[in-house]
Amino acid sequence: MVKRKVAALEKVDADLVNLQYKIRRDPKSYAQEFYDQWLAYDAQRQIFIASPTTASTDDVTKFHDLVDLVAHVADLYPDLTAAYPDHLKELLNQHHAILSPELREKVVGSLTLLRRKDVIDSTSLLTTLFPILISTPSKTLRTLLYGKIISDLRESNSKSINHRLNRTIQTVLHNLVTSDRTSTKGMWATRITRELWRRQIWTDAKPCDVMKEACLSDNEKVVVGGVRFFLGGDKEREEMEDEGSDEEFDIKRAKHQSVINKKTKKRQKAYEKAIDKVKKQERKKSAPHPLNFSALHLIHDPQGFAELLFQKHLQNTKCKFSLDNKLLVLQLVTRLVGLHKLTIISLYSWFVRYLTPKQPQVTSFLASLAQATHDLVPPDAIEPLMVKIANEFVSEASASEVAAAGINAIREVAIRQPLCMTETLLQDLVLYQRSKDKGVVMAAKGLQSLYREVYPELLQKKYRGKEATMGLRSGEVKLRKFGEEEAGGIDGIELLEEWKLEQKKRKVAEAMASGVEKKEGEEDDEDGFNSDEWEVGSSESDESEDGWINMSDDEDDEPATKRPRTEAEAAAYVDGQEKTAEAIRVSTLAQTSILTPADLLKLQELRREAQVDRVLNPSRVSKRKKELILRHIDEGVTADDIELPAMLGKKSTKEERVALAKDGKPGRDEHKSTQAIKRSKKEAEGKSTTNKEKARKKNFLMTVGKARAKNKKSLIDRGKTLKMHIARSKQGGRRRNRDGG
Amino acid sequence: MSKISVAGVRQHCVELLEYSNETKKRNFLETVELQIGLKNYDPQRDKRFSGTIRLPIVPRPNMSICILGDQHDIDRAKHGGVDSMSSDDLKKLNKNKKLIKKLARKYDAFIASDTLIKQIPRLLGPGLSKAGKFPTPVSHADDLTGKLNEVKSTIKFQLKKVLCMGIAVGNVGMTSEELVANIMLAINFLVSLLKKGWQNVGSLTIKATMSPPRRVY
Repeated sequence: MVKRKVAALEKVDADLVNLQYKIRRDPKSYAQEFYDQWLAYDAQRQIFIASPTTASTDDVTKFHDLVDLVAHVADLYPDLTAAYPDHLKELLNQHHAILSPELREKVVGSLTLLRRKDVIDSTSLLTTLFPILISTPSKTLRTLLYGKIISDLRESNSKSINHRLNRTIQTVLHNLVTSDRTSTKGMWATRITRELWRRQIWTDAKPCDVMKEACLSDNEKVVVGGVRFFLGGDKEREEMEDEGSDEEFDIKRAKHQSVINKKTKKRQKAYEKAIDKVKKQERKKSAPHPLNFSALHLIHDPQGFAELLFQKHLQNTKCKFSLDNKLLVLQLVTRLVGLHKLTIISLYSWFVRYLTPKQPQVTSFLASLAQATHDLVPPDAIEPLMVKIANEFVSEASASEVAAAGINAIREVAIRQPLCMTETLLQDLVLYQRSKDKGVVMAAKGLQSLYREVYPELLQKKYRGKEATMGLRSGEVKLRKFGEEEAGGIDGIELLEEWKLEQKKRKVAEAMASGVEKKEGEEDDEDGFNSDEWEVGSSESDESEDGWINMSDDEDDEPATKRPRTEAEAAAYVDGQEKTAEAIRVSTLAQTSILTPADLLKLQELRREAQVDRVLNPSRVSKRKKELILRHIDEGVTADDIELPAMLGKKSTKEERVALAKDGKPGRDEHKSTQAIKRSKKEAEGKSTTNKEKARKKNFLMTVGKARAKNKKSLIDRGKTLKMHIARSKQGGRRRNRDGG
Repeated sequence: MSKISVAGVRQHCVELLEYSNETKKRNFLETVELQIGLKNYDPQRDKRFSGTIRLPIVPRPNMSICILGDQHDIDRAKHGGVDSMSSDDLKKLNKNKKLIKKLARKYDAFIASDTLIKQIPRLLGPGLSKAGKFPTPVSHADDLTGKLNEVKSTIKFQLKKVLCMGIAVGNVGMTSEELVANIMLAINFLVSLLKKGWQNVGSLTIKATMSPPRRVY
């Protein structure tokens, strides 16, 4: 009776799930059953395809279940189900708009399942899903497909980079963007590319090319997607990487958690998994850096790209982008110009129109102008802009913030191209340091100190300052001519050389003093290539006894070293050498020996010392250099940089100060104890409470009876319970789960 | 190889010169190149480096240089037997991209007079800077031959889209001592440019135009 009931149930309801289970266990003996189901599936499919709109819900659910079954066991009967993937693709391609959402989801899920089981390859899956993604009007289907596409691409690139698949998909995306420049479909290309870039799955030039094409599209949304990628994509990627590594795992805690309470296999497994994770992270940390070229550097033909972008979206009067988006494009163009030192001369005259205080977001324009300036821009292209900024922004009548922003913008431009200034303009601007507003004063002083360093001739004599005047007289301060490149050299190599000579002098003197005979052979192996020096790399900067005199071989063949000498003699000998060294133009040290890691460390130390000297002795401070070191050309200028000095002069209001103080502290809606906040936070995270807390929260009426009974107990009973309690706690509680209990 | 020594480099130089001058002498002056492979270098975090350094001995004496100048400089150039162009010649190119590209390809470097150089971007557009051959300024007071030598002996380290690069540091007509000095200076300069010094250097190879490469590090 009971048996029959189960059998009946099996047939009607649990049918397919059960069958799937059985087939998986023993595919051969259930081949016939599967064949029956396959036929049923095929029949249902044909019915469905014949009239997809009129299919009854019953039929649909039946078809849904059959699709599910076949997908799960398709890998076991490859011959029979060879056409199955094509069926699904066809179904999805032709009827995705009218399929019921569940069935649609099932078909997509089945296809990805087939991919996971390696029945179909990624390329065919993605080329099926992608066209649907961009054409379907259903939002749920789009999110589903987008997720599947991204996860499949991640999956197929996880073990090793699947170049072939990437190339195919990138070509598809490229074609999508370039084929129809007016449609919003390109959005999907930008979204997918950006996501994969962020996850460091695509890191080469091809995705940059896709984005480049997106930037040149006619559709505003697509353009913004592309431009934002170039302006922020790299930062996003870096942040993502940091996030991944930040996820520190507390191994001690995991260990502790696995010990308390009962030991189960599940807990053990969780613990092992956690340890694996930690190990993996550590391995990742020690692994070499992946090659991360920034997207801006990977662009092919930046000059052509920047020109096109400028002509199409900025210079073109027919372009109807909103101001914000135009600014984004402008930022990208100017970043490219500054970074690659491009020449787009019409860009500068284009700026003229926008440089008035009334222009909305004018500080962004000023920042972009500064960004677009580099040392190969002809000064006569920027000069009129400087005059315009000075006329429009900087006057006695204008508001102090405006004047400060104007002067600061001029300074930012002048840092990059000091030749863009005329004498009268500079002298006029420098006079603003007598203004009453602090911001203006700071900006004007900044400009003055910049010119004291790079081009003091332009300043009036009384504003040049002592150092610049002295520098001018001694010929130390020299203006870099247009197009001139700073001659490079190894920074501080002369310091190192000097130091080495000194060491040598000292050593020779020491040798003299002790009277130890020094053989030439000894000196020979002090060539600076002892193995211990090569190991250094980190901490060793103290003088080790040997291996520091870095003499070249040709200097070594002085015969004099054999006999002990007097101190005076030794000094004279070294001095003589020093003089000859001075006579040689380029440092001989760098030409005759190879700098070891230890040498490089010493070099750094000496350089730092020299820098300290400069700071102590203010005549040598180089503000501009410091600034340039701090802010590398790779980073752009933002509107905040321009607005900064204006902010300096202003006193903040109380609200601002309160907001600043509150910033970064946990939200406190009502007045509550920190304990209460912690507890509610715990509760919100779905964490359990402690037994103590439970006991405290327990309803009073539930506990009152027990409390009363306890009070009424006789002395003997009390003793008994106490004894029982002790015995039980020795055994490890009611569950007896204490170790060794 | 984990170490590099002066003696090793010298040995390699001697062998290289011997190969190119005796074993397989070619009918032209071969250039010696230093090839560098970097490692553990993250171009985004460490920022890309670039730098120029002047070598003690001119590595490529046959470098072709063109002088873009005013009348005074053109006369000087003619006197020294160097190619030269006036601003009128440049105007004749008419901003034609192909012609400018051709010009850029024809010469290895350019020198321009102070008076003219500011107009170069307007006259020639981006062509020259795109090729990395933006002129070096020279004033009337400067010694032209000295300037020519300076340009010829200056080499530039610049990282492009890949982590390897090659720089001409000498030729096979030089003595081994000269070659070693040039190579050493180039290597030392490179290492001083890198953030982590030797830890960022993957490999160093020297090679003449037609010789097999020799790995020195």
